[in-house]
Amino acid sequence: MSRPPGRKQDSQKISRELFVLTYGALVAQLCKDYEKDEDVNTCLDRMGYAIGIRLIDDFLARSSVKRCRSYSETADMIAQVAFKMYLGVTPSVSCSSAAGNEFSLILDKNPLVDFVEELPAERASLCYCNLLCGVIRGALEMVHLAAEVTFLQDRLKGDAVTEIGITFLRKAEDRKHRRNK
Amino acid sequence: MSRQAGRGTESKKMYWYLPFISPSASMHLMNSELFTLTYGALVTQLCKDYENDEDVNKQLDKMGYNIGVRLIEDFLARSNVGRCHDFRETADVIAKIAFKMYLGITPSITNWSPGGDEFSLILENNPLVDFVELPDNHSTLIYSNLLCGVLRGALEMVQMAVDVKFVQDTLKGDSVTEIRMKFIRRIEDNLPAGEE
Repeated sequence: MSRPPGRKQDSQKISRELFVLTYGALVAQLCKDYEKDEDVNTCLDRMGYAIGIRLIDDFLARSSVKRCRSYSETADMIAQVAFKMYLGVTPSVSCSSAAGNEFSLILDKNPLVDFVEELPAERASLCYCNLLCGVIRGALEMVHLAAEVTFLQDRLKGDAVTEIGITFLRKAEDRKHRRNK
Repeated sequence: MSRQAGRGTESKKMYWYLPFISPSASMHLMNSELFTLTYGALVTQLCKDYENDEDVNKQLDKMGYNIGVRLIEDFLARSNVGRCHDFRETADVIAKIAFKMYLGITPSITNWSPGGDEFSLILENNPLVDFVELPDNHSTLIYSNLLCGVLRGALEMVQMAVDVKFVQDTLKGDSVTEIRMKFIRRIEDNLPAGEE
C-alpha cells in the first residue's frame, strides 16, 4: 500500500502519546492474532524491518549525515540523531566487544513503554518494543550494513534498563567492509 | 498492569498495553514519520485479519475509541485548556490544539450547520497517509478511521456524544480530507459503556 517517501516539507514535531497508544494497539492486535510470544516478536521485527527500509530514506534526507566511517560512528548516529529524531530520546552508547562491532544502546526512558507497567503473566516472553529492532536492522541494511539487533535487557521484564544490542556482521566475502572499521 | 487515573473507571476493562498518564507530562516531541509508518503497519495487519474493508474500518474506529478515552487525559493534562462553553469552542480546541499537538497539523473548521451542532475539519495534509496509496481492492477502506474513533472516545470522556466520519479523503482522489463532526447529546452519566 505504500510508496517510497519523496522529499516533502519540514516535518512537524508531534507529541508522541498518540503514537505510543497506536503502537500499543498494534501490539494488542498481534497478540490477538498470534498465541505465542515468539510469533508476535517475529511479526513485530518483520514489520519493523519493512518500516526501517523506508524510514532510512527520510532519515538520510532530513539529517544530511555523511557516510559513517566506522561502526562506532554508526552507533552514535543511531543513538544521537535517529532516536532523537523519531522517538525524542537519546540512548547512551557503549561498545561491548574488543572487535569493535558490538554495541549497546541503553535507554533510561523507552517512550514506547512510557506508561506500561508490566507485561501480563501469559505474555512474559513478549518483546513489546521489538518493532524497534526491525527498524534499526532494516535501515542499516539499506546502507549496506548487515546487523543483528536484539533487546538484551528490558525494563518491562524487570531489568533495570532497556538495552538494545547491535552486532554489525562483517561479510567474509566483502572486503569493502574493512573500511568501516 | 496499567493503572488509570481515578475517574469512575470501574466499568472499563483494563488494557494492559495502553498507557496511563505519566506524572511527568512534559515535552515528548518526535518527528511523525515513524508514527506514519507504524500506523501503516497497523492498517496492513488489520487488512490481513479481516476480509472486508467494512470490518477493518470498524476495527480502526474501535481501536481509536479505546485510544481516545485515554488520550483525552494526556491532552487535558498537557494542554491546560479549560472547559469548553459550546461546540464552537470545542471545535477550535480540537483543530488548533489537539490536532496540532498529536499530528502536527491544524485543520480548518468550516461548514457549520445552522444549528451550530455540526462542522467539518478540513485537512489539507494528513500525516497518516504520507506514504500511502490505496490498492484497488481496498477502495472502501477508510484508512485514517482511527482518528474518528479517537475523537469520539475523547469527547465521550468530556461528556459529549458525537458522531465523527470522513466525508472526503485524498486517498480516494478528493482534493482534501474532510472529517464531519456532529454533536449528538450531552452525556450525563459519568460511566460510559466502554467498548471491547
